[in-house]
Amino acid sequence: MNSKRIFLWDLPTRLFHWLLGASVVAAVVTGQIGGNLIEWHGKIGILIAGLLVFRLVWGVLGSTYARFAHFFPTPAKIKAYLSGQWRGEGHNPLGALSVFGLIALLLVQVGSGLLANDDIAFTGPLADLVSREVSNRLTGVHHLLSNVLIGLVVLHVAAIAFYAHVKKQNLVKPMVTGWKDDADGESARGGGFLALLVALAIALAAIYGASGAWLPEVPPPAVGEVPTW
Amino acid sequence: MKSKLLLSLLAITMAGAAVAQVKPEDAIKFRQSGYGFMAWNMQRIKMNVEGGNFNKEEVVKAANAIQAIANSGMGALYLPGTDKGTGWEPTRAKANIWTDKEKLGKVAMEFNKEANEMAKVAATGDAAAVGVQLGKLGGTCKGCHDDFKAKK
Ligand code: HEM
Ligand code: HEM
Repeated sequence: MNSKRIFLWDLPTRLFHWLLGASVVAAVVTGQIGGNLIEWHGKIGILIAGLLVFRLVWGVLGSTYARFAHFFPTPAKIKAYLSGQWRGEGHNPLGALSVFGLIALLLVQVGSGLLANDDIAFTGPLADLVSREVSNRLTGVHHLLSNVLIGLVVLHVAAIAFYAHVKKQNLVKPMVTGWKDDADGESARGGGFLALLVALAIALAAIYGASGAWLPEVPPPAVGEVPTW
Repeated sequence: MKSKLLLSLLAITMAGAAVAQVKPEDAIKFRQSGYGFMAWNMQRIKMNVEGGNFNKEEVVKAANAIQAIANSGMGALYLPGTDKGTGWEPTRAKANIWTDKEKLGKVAMEFNKEANEMAKVAATGDAAAVGVQLGKLGGTCKGCHDDFKAKK
């Protein structure tokens, strides 16, 4: 095993990661408290939509270890990992499962939220696209999945604590600095400025789409049209 | 003799009518309508707070409507057995409404308190205060929904 220092996580991946973590915590807290915070919940959720789409694009255009193809967890890889045969840097096959699981779950969470309503005074910005009945059902999905999501996040953090204390591997530091010591791979390449611009542009488009700003506005009734009774 | 029989029959049907004043299906419809009507008024208040052109009259109307419904004794509409049934749609009232009375009473009282407060704040015409109170009131709707309204 050669021990050298490699560049593992590019800056966009790290920024994505911590922004997503903070936003998901904020979304869970504001969703559970409700009241006027539900407005912030919606805004944070739309931001999360943008972050997720950014990550999807970055999983193709980003640098080596950020690419989905690099860490896609095939059954063979998982088997190798479980029997201690797997070698590599970046997400190990089990970690990769958790990454894909979290991203998929978050996509459904955001999607259902955009179409949900709180039966009080808030509706997801895209809720007008479906019937109230469907919106109510998706609100139920949103509620149910939020608990699954909290479970997965706890598992995610527990796994990192396990690696730190039992396997003596600090996974947090590379996600902060980008650099990993004692690695046996090459530094990440690719994911240049142009790729970043493309990913950002698509993410912004997703935020615009999620915000519902493109939906036809219902004009307020003209003065005089509303009866005084 | 005959008239006495008729009279008692009449008395029985009338007594029956008094007890079964609201049919279960109607009770469910009435409560769903009450909540739906409050939701409309919550949205009206919200639009006035957010829109930038706060119309005090509108807000007062809406807040008073909510206050009136909140104090109308809607608890009477939760007839035994109406945790099942269909009003405008299948009821979403959870069975614990009929068992966890202490907690339900608490959230219902909180709701009443904030609805009364909403009407008071609306009367002042202070847009910022209305916005804050709207959040508090909405929080009490959620406080009940979280525990007592079924998720779909
Ligand atoms: C990954 C992002 C999101 C997370 C983690 C999340 C999480 C949550 C949580 C924990 C709740 C409380 C559930 C409950 O206790 O019933 C909630 C409620 C809600 N969320 Fe989200 N949410 C997200 C995105 C969104 C988005 C994008 C929207 C819409 C813009 C949205 C709209 C709603 C609504 C309307 C409710 C109220 C449901 C109810 O009161 O029955 N959420 N969310
Ligand atoms: C202003 C505050 C409130 C608003 C805006 C509100 C809004 C709503 C709405 C829109 C519905 C759906 C009605 C339908 O199916 O058409 C509903 C149902 C329901 N709400 Fe609320 N609600 C509020 C306060 C409360 C409170 C304080 C309670 C607790 C007593 C409560 C308990 C329920 C229950 C049990 C249902 C299901 C009723 C049924 O389907 O039979 N709500 N609410």
